[in-house]
Amino acid sequence: MAIEDNRSFTHPLYDFMLTVPGLSLATGRVDQLLTWGLTNSLWIFPMATSCCGIEFMATAASRVDIDRMGSIVRGTPRQADVMVVAGTITVKMAPRVKKLWDLMPEPKWCLAMGSCAISGDFYRDLYPTVPGIDTFLPVDVYVPGCPPNPEALMAGMLRLQEKVRLQREGKWAPKESRPETAKMIMPALRRINDPARDPSVDKAQLDSAMKVAGSEPLEEAPTPERMPPRSAEPVPIDGDLQALLTAHGVTEIPRDAPPLVPVARHRDLAEQLKKRGFRQLVTVVATHYPDKRDKAGLILTPEYYEVAYALRTVGRGSQLVMWRVRFEVPDGIDSLYGVFAGADWQEREQFDLIGVRFAGHPDLRRILLPHDYAGFPLRRDHASDAPCAPWR
Amino acid sequence: MSVVKAKRQNPHFRLDLYEPEADLMVLNFGPQHPSTHGVFRMQLHLDGEKIVKAVPDLGYLHRGVEKLCERLTYVQITPIVDKNDYVSPMHNEQAINMAFEKLLGIEVPRRARYLRTIFAELQRMASHLLWLGTFALDLGGAIGGGASVFLHCFRERELILDLFEEVTGARFHYNTHTIGGNRHDITPGWAQSVKSALAVIESRIPEYESITLSNGIFFERTKGIGVLDGELALELGITGPILRASGVDHDLRRDAPYHAYDEIEVKVASAEGGDCWARSVVRLAELRESLRIVRALVDAVPEGPICGYKPIKLVGQVKIPSGQVYSAMESSRGELGTYVIAGGGEGNVSPYRLKIRPPSFHALSALPYLLPGHMVADAVVILGSLDPIMGEVDR
Repeated sequence: MAIEDNRSFTHPLYDFMLTVPGLSLATGRVDQLLTWGLTNSLWIFPMATSCCGIEFMATAASRVDIDRMGSIVRGTPRQADVMVVAGTITVKMAPRVKKLWDLMPEPKWCLAMGSCAISGDFYRDLYPTVPGIDTFLPVDVYVPGCPPNPEALMAGMLRLQEKVRLQREGKWAPKESRPETAKMIMPALRRINDPARDPSVDKAQLDSAMKVAGSEPLEEAPTPERMPPRSAEPVPIDGDLQALLTAHGVTEIPRDAPPLVPVARHRDLAEQLKKRGFRQLVTVVATHYPDKRDKAGLILTPEYYEVAYALRTVGRGSQLVMWRVRFEVPDGIDSLYGVFAGADWQEREQFDLIGVRFAGHPDLRRILLPHDYAGFPLRRDHASDAPCAPWR
Repeated sequence: MSVVKAKRQNPHFRLDLYEPEADLMVLNFGPQHPSTHGVFRMQLHLDGEKIVKAVPDLGYLHRGVEKLCERLTYVQITPIVDKNDYVSPMHNEQAINMAFEKLLGIEVPRRARYLRTIFAELQRMASHLLWLGTFALDLGGAIGGGASVFLHCFRERELILDLFEEVTGARFHYNTHTIGGNRHDITPGWAQSVKSALAVIESRIPEYESITLSNGIFFERTKGIGVLDGELALELGITGPILRASGVDHDLRRDAPYHAYDEIEVKVASAEGGDCWARSVVRLAELRESLRIVRALVDAVPEGPICGYKPIKLVGQVKIPSGQVYSAMESSRGELGTYVIAGGGEGNVSPYRLKIRPPSFHALSALPYLLPGHMVADAVVILGSLDPIMGEVDR
């Protein structure tokens, strides 16, 4: 039996159903009921990586309470309809996001929350970030903002509900365009326990700031010249400590930088300082200085590294001591691992970012970047937008 | 108060030399897991249900902030570092601007120092409230449906965010600090709003304590779990509530005062035990202490300018010729430091190298020491009690 229909799909059961009077009306009603149920129970899988994740939590929490839209937050992709990608996605994380998306059962939707997920925001050009999740996921709704207010996310969920409704009715849902410029997102709801804000208060605040900014004495403030640091911590070194530094090969203590210690003596210095109460390894900072060449291409100063260490005493009147070690590029430096257990991760991080080799380190592997990343990103000769396949 | 002593585990423990009681198994924990507080991955090597070795894997949120700062000017850096520790952005802004002020030798006006102190303490309260809520979620149904603590804490956190929104116009990522002071002055009725919000929060702290610390299940889940040796904590560079819970009396607000902390006495919270319980006790005590500090300062804000530097009209206006400086402050998680190498960059308007010393990175480095010997369920509790924020760990 031929059906007067423009559908290409035919099936005996379908043909039979069309002959039953009233059945199409009934299934239509059931379909409306299912649409109503589906749009009001969009369970969310939060792919929350950073700041937007906190605003997402605020949306799920007491004040805004996204649960009243039927959007329950689920920790597993298998039970969710909507993936809310909230936060920056890095090249290390992106394959995991894709995998989690693939784990979600159909039908499924994706909501990009915040400018990092939409376009990468100001991390867009940088080596480790993905310039927008729509490079590898089909995004249904974009919610711009940095981070979007909970109200903006609610509005995004309402837009998604509308889109789902149109799709269920077989209509064409207009594609959302990626917001190219982040528009200012104003709160859609007034703050619930905030008294209506008086516009004159805004003006008074603005006037006060302008007055301060434009007041006479500040215009004359003697700032461009450097004044002696008010409370520079590394400088006030007592005689005892100075003697110790001199004994370890320090020739001068500069005013604006930590003293330079010879490579061979620095581990010994750390041991001595630890005995004197500097028991906390505060930080390790490595810096790369590329070689300087003249116009003919001859090397004036070769490429070198500087590694600065900081130790601290604890308790009242805490004292900080810092020193630097300078050495040329192929060389390494003695690890402080054996003296301070914290050198393990801190030196590993500097190896990862700068490429300094620490001799005697037990576990010198990459810590932040993917293990197959080529190069050391914080070296001065490494481009900040170095390509990282397959995104750039 | 005595420094906590505990047996030190070997983080580079060799599994091939280990003789398991049951079967050895590797459990991959994260990077997407509701209890990892962001994107953090651990490989847990298990003997039955006992952890014998934990290998953390970071970097799933490494965004290259330090590289980005090298190509931005000093003025442009402030809104970028907001996103590092996204639970306490105020502290990030203050830390970075303190370093630049130290390099330039600028005196911050007294009014701005008071405002910074008040903002910092309010932010610490918001951060600790968020920690308590998520920590209760980590403990899960054990404490009467952990979600109720989460909802209670977020209710009060919103009050603090409203206060910030009134001054800066943003719920977070405020961009309200600038070199030499603050950008936004407080509104006339703000002090009164602060006091009424504080009254609400103060009345509810006993409620939190009754549903967490006074709860027998909370006690059982946290007491004696993840005992951190005080000396090890110092070597690892751990600071903040975790260090104080291990019996080391150290707080930069009191020991190396900045802002207006030299004008007010800070009572450093402490606890004994070095376990997850002690860390919870310290954070709740800090909540009360921050409340006291804000209440004392908010009425005493002096009159005067809020910025000690000439008005910034161009992003390339601030030039710092040369110098290296380390400056630190106490954020909600510990010592938030900034090491800046100025000069050598293009036109002296951007730093040559900028390193942010995040307290959470150091806190996480304790995991290979803390986890072995515990059950898998305790791993979640230990991780939650360290309160890591992956944005600042990975930067």
